[in-house]
Amino acid sequence: MYHGSSLRGCDLNDEPGSQFSVSERTDTELVNAATAGDAQAFAELSRRYRGVVTRFAVRMVGNRDDAEDVLQSAFLRAYRALDRCREPSKFGAWLYQIVANECRSYVIRRARRERRIVRDELQLRAMATPAVVDANDTLDDVQYALDQLDIDQREAFVMKHVEQLSYEEMSEITGDGISALKMRVKRACARLRELLEEAYDV
Amino acid sequence: MSDNARDDQRFGDRVAQVLRTEEQFGDDFEESLVVAIRAERPIRSKLVRRGPVLSPAWWRTPRTLRVSPLAGLAYAASLAAVTAVAAVSAAPTPDTALPVTMVAQTRTDTVTLVRFVFVGRAQTVSLVGDFNRWGAEQTPLTPSGLDGMWTASVRVPQGRHEYAFIVDGKRWVPDPTAPTTSDEFDTRSSIVTVGS
Repeated sequence: MYHGSSLRGCDLNDEPGSQFSVSERTDTELVNAATAGDAQAFAELSRRYRGVVTRFAVRMVGNRDDAEDVLQSAFLRAYRALDRCREPSKFGAWLYQIVANECRSYVIRRARRERRIVRDELQLRAMATPAVVDANDTLDDVQYALDQLDIDQREAFVMKHVEQLSYEEMSEITGDGISALKMRVKRACARLRELLEEAYDV
Repeated sequence: MSDNARDDQRFGDRVAQVLRTEEQFGDDFEESLVVAIRAERPIRSKLVRRGPVLSPAWWRTPRTLRVSPLAGLAYAASLAAVTAVAAVSAAPTPDTALPVTMVAQTRTDTVTLVRFVFVGRAQTVSLVGDFNRWGAEQTPLTPSGLDGMWTASVRVPQGRHEYAFIVDGKRWVPDPTAPTTSDEFDTRSSIVTVGS
């Protein structure tokens, strides 16, 4: 079961002070309305959950422009499949699965078409040290290092360390076992450390 | 938690700090989405769509057949035989690969067993699709015993799905006998529709 607070549905605990006001329609109501053809109801679902998946998509595909296209495609795919959303109260977690799948699909297909751009490793700065990782101008460099990971490792790292999901949540989204996910995160960390320390040594 | 695990956790969190920078799109995201949705058919009209189960060229394209589990097993067995015949009759020439997707399905409430068949010369064949998260190592096809014929049976949820074969670990091969779609990179994938 998905327990992520950022993706929780709005059917429960809509007390004053929560993320969503009590006057708003629940996820289930919005899903039912959208399934009946109410495009604005789906737009409301999109506004409700887009913030949760946007950063994930940008980190997965590597840039904002591509991420916006991927999210448009993923949301449209979700709309088409809305009648198969078995638990509308968990729309957020269900949508996250679709977005993750769409990101993977995009990255894999893009990799087939594009020769990987070989950037000068000198551009990578010393990300392995805490003193520099919070500098704004390092985002592109860290993103570049992240892009070097294979898709499984990248996805696991982003979910665990960027989105700060639990392994149980990650398992629900990806359908993969917790042990496998832990191993991916471990390997992702090792690979990132290697990339960033190599750059530092240079 | 071991020292190594703690070290990884600290390293991951440190690197991720910069990656946690918020990313947002403008409200025109929903405007574009609504335009795209309104160009779609209403969802419920899809549910009442009706059509012939089999067409004259039924063996050429993936099909969804609704059968009981027992009947499904029997049908799967018979279709396997049909598939073999089709594969032999469409035997590839030495320089060509003729992937053919056949679908034998035992339907439950939510998933359908779909049998994919690739016919062609290859050392390895795997199936990628949205149903296995495009994982090149998730679904290897196995040689069927007939020359050049590879098969895999996969549980696929209802709905429209895109897929392709990866031949010898690098060649992306859509199924020429199934409907195809192209992505933004002009990569063609095949389409299988499972269920209503």
